[in-house]
Amino acid sequence: MTNGNATLVVKDLRKKIGKKEIIKGLSFELKKGEVFGFLGPNGAGKTTTIRMLVGLVKPTSGQILLCGYDLHREFSKAVRQIGCIVENPELYPYLTGWENLEHFVRMVPDIPKNRIKEVVELVGLQNRIHDRVSTYSLGMRQRLGIAQALLGKPKILILDEPTNGLDPVGIREMREFIRFLAEKEGLTVLVSSHLLSEIQLMCDRVAIMAKGEIIRIDTVEYLLAEQERVIWKVEPLEKAKALLEEETVIIGEEDGTLITHYDAEKVSLWNEKLVKAGIKVSEIHTKLPTLEDLFIELTEGETID
Amino acid sequence: MKVNVVKIIAALAIFSSGLWMAGLGLAIKDQFFYEASSPVKKISLENVAEEKEDGFHIVALGDSLTRGTGDESGKGYVGYVADELQTKTKQTIRVKNLAIKGQRSAGLVSQLQQIEVQRQIKQADIILMTIGGNDLFQSGEALSNFSLERMNQAKADYLRNLHTIFKTIRHLNPDAVVFYISLYNPFNDLTDAKTTSAVVREWNFQSAEAAANYPNIIAVPTFDLFELNVNDYLYSDKFHPNKEGYKLIGERVASLITFTEGDEKND
Amino acid sequence: MINLVYNEMIKIVRKKRLLIIAAIIAVLVALFTYAQLKRVQSIQEQLGTTDWRAQLQQQIIDTQNRLNSSGLSEEWRKFLQIRLQQQQYYLDHDINPSAPGAPTFMRMFAENSIDLFIPLMVMVIAADLVSSEASGGTIKLLLTRPVKRWKILLSKYIAMILSVSFILLSLGALSYLISGVVFGFSGWTLPLLTGFSVHGEELDTANVHLISQWKYLLMEFGLVWFVSLVVGTLTFMLSVLMRSTAAVMGIMLAALISGAILSTMVSSWESAKYLFMVNLRLTDYVSGMAPPINGMTLGFSMTVLAVWGLAALIISFIVFTKRDVY
Repeated sequence: MTNGNATLVVKDLRKKIGKKEIIKGLSFELKKGEVFGFLGPNGAGKTTTIRMLVGLVKPTSGQILLCGYDLHREFSKAVRQIGCIVENPELYPYLTGWENLEHFVRMVPDIPKNRIKEVVELVGLQNRIHDRVSTYSLGMRQRLGIAQALLGKPKILILDEPTNGLDPVGIREMREFIRFLAEKEGLTVLVSSHLLSEIQLMCDRVAIMAKGEIIRIDTVEYLLAEQERVIWKVEPLEKAKALLEEETVIIGEEDGTLITHYDAEKVSLWNEKLVKAGIKVSEIHTKLPTLEDLFIELTEGETID
Repeated sequence: MKVNVVKIIAALAIFSSGLWMAGLGLAIKDQFFYEASSPVKKISLENVAEEKEDGFHIVALGDSLTRGTGDESGKGYVGYVADELQTKTKQTIRVKNLAIKGQRSAGLVSQLQQIEVQRQIKQADIILMTIGGNDLFQSGEALSNFSLERMNQAKADYLRNLHTIFKTIRHLNPDAVVFYISLYNPFNDLTDAKTTSAVVREWNFQSAEAAANYPNIIAVPTFDLFELNVNDYLYSDKFHPNKEGYKLIGERVASLITFTEGDEKND
Repeated sequence: MINLVYNEMIKIVRKKRLLIIAAIIAVLVALFTYAQLKRVQSIQEQLGTTDWRAQLQQQIIDTQNRLNSSGLSEEWRKFLQIRLQQQQYYLDHDINPSAPGAPTFMRMFAENSIDLFIPLMVMVIAADLVSSEASGGTIKLLLTRPVKRWKILLSKYIAMILSVSFILLSLGALSYLISGVVFGFSGWTLPLLTGFSVHGEELDTANVHLISQWKYLLMEFGLVWFVSLVVGTLTFMLSVLMRSTAAVMGIMLAALISGAILSTMVSSWESAKYLFMVNLRLTDYVSGMAPPINGMTLGFSMTVLAVWGLAALIISFIVFTKRDVY
């Protein structure tokens, strides 16, 4: 099951708090150079899972392998492989950005001195790096957070809500930066976000969590394609509806149109049937749903955060 | 720059940690494992420092009367004597009041064994004292529960102590005039005043007899001061004098002290 | 490990805590120096003498008079009794227990601040060592480094010890320098007496011996250091257990102040002697004061404090290494 370029492997991960099991057996693998999205409503166990991946919360059972190192048994070696921002990038406000980075460099044995300069340039903070963090904007803090995550040249980057609180320009920059890291530097990036559109634009694969379980993992394209719809502009509506219901399920009805699932082989047949019955088909087109539609459907209408 | 500050503080902190640890070790060694080898020597009167401050030294010895109990200003007769004398001389009057409330003659005898007390007596120009009130009024419980036998026993003890006191003072300081202030009868307006007055008079007489055996020890009577209108001069405990009562005693004692050129004293 | 401790020291220094503490100490020392000066002057005025022997003799007489008045509480009577015997002992051996000078002031300042002021300063440092990382969220960054959790906590603990040492050093230095301006800088070699032990109302002088003031001071600062470490460790534990620095300070403050109040009134509550806060006045054993509860000795108090401190340390490490961080 575990293939050669899997950098992060999770096997049957469980967490109990008291008698309540809040994570009910997660298993998934992340590949090198992949951006992986983590989606789920509040209380789905997203945050707990991420904290278990970085060693902040101890799993009740199950295994986490980071580049082959068991997080439980070889903590230092395993953690050495990751860089992370958990929730907001909280740094020491009374130190400068540079001092913050120095602080973290001192905690890892083998980071060369000029690495700080490298990451500062990478995130574009050269001008303000010697100012106190308390004077930084949220976007700058976010970038400093990324910088500290990248200090140890990690192979896996784990980002919890990386675009939280950023303005639209910042969000776009962040998205591009993450794609850059994955494509050019070959990092595995795990991102959780409540902005579904972000995940859709940024990620190669998505896991959707609800109630402590992963209910779907797939590539974004596939998940969306599966949910492709056909929109029929027909007249008269009632008659067409009756005919189509014999063949498929009507998902929706709006502004004089009917919506059905997409089935590449059957759509022309259905069309023929309608035309034969004397219904005026003025327009047929397919529509890719947003991940949001999918999400709501999969989680049965639970609200997302 | 900033890093240097941290390094300096860290270096100082490490150094002081060592220092305090050594201190703790020393404390443990000294407090738990000390073996008394050479006990600390007591000082003796001969080798105590002999520097004497300038001025006119009054040492007051005795009991609550000398302490000034009952005078809300806290001066007592000693204070009034000092005030009075200060008007007569340019020298600084220095008062050392060593009186202790409730002290009896036996207590004073042992107090006089203390080196520092001896040193102060040695330096005194005059000595004021009251003693015996507690021997008489409490030890004998004489006046409320009259028993001739116990009374006599108390008196005998007292007189023996009084001799010791006078002898000791004279031995330490042959020159200073000692004013021994004798007793009054605080129960003068009670029903058995006649009996109690007789007892006090007899007590005072014996004390004055003792004083007469030594040079320059003056027994100052106060009995007469409190004979009339005793309640006007007593504190609310009906035993100690009040402010007015102490002033009477103070005036009487002060009137006995005169200064002859520069230094002291009396007659 | 050195790097980790260095990190912690940077954070403490940059938070300006040490500076604030040094400033508070300086203000307090100046205040006490002035108060002490006034006191010396008023004693001289009142007694009309500058001779320390006469002054001490007068204090003894005053104490004796107080002992003879009615309405003294049992504890107070005992306290006076012991002090009286001690003063008499000093007088009989011609040793001035409070010869003026900066070292004497240092000694008195340390003795008077061991149970409240110094612990409060230590608390200011120790209270937010861990809790501020938790409430600021930076704990998540610390714990996702390739460093074992116990090492991170140990580095913080060492930094706490270093800060405590530094606070005491600045206390010593500031009290010496500031009071020296007024009282003069000499007096390191003055002889002092120690080794008194208290049995009931009697002062046992069998083991009394002379030591120089500098040695006496070193011993007292060693004991102050010990007390500070225990208070620091307890605060440290609370800091691990709680996210809110204010809550940590509140609890420690309540404990320390209740200790100061309790030690004046617990003589009849025997088992109170196992509370850490009534055992803080270690220097009293060296100078020979009566303990708050009969039968308390230096060894007893140090053991009680060490047990509390050790328990707190163990709890801190267990909780910190096992805990899930959210």
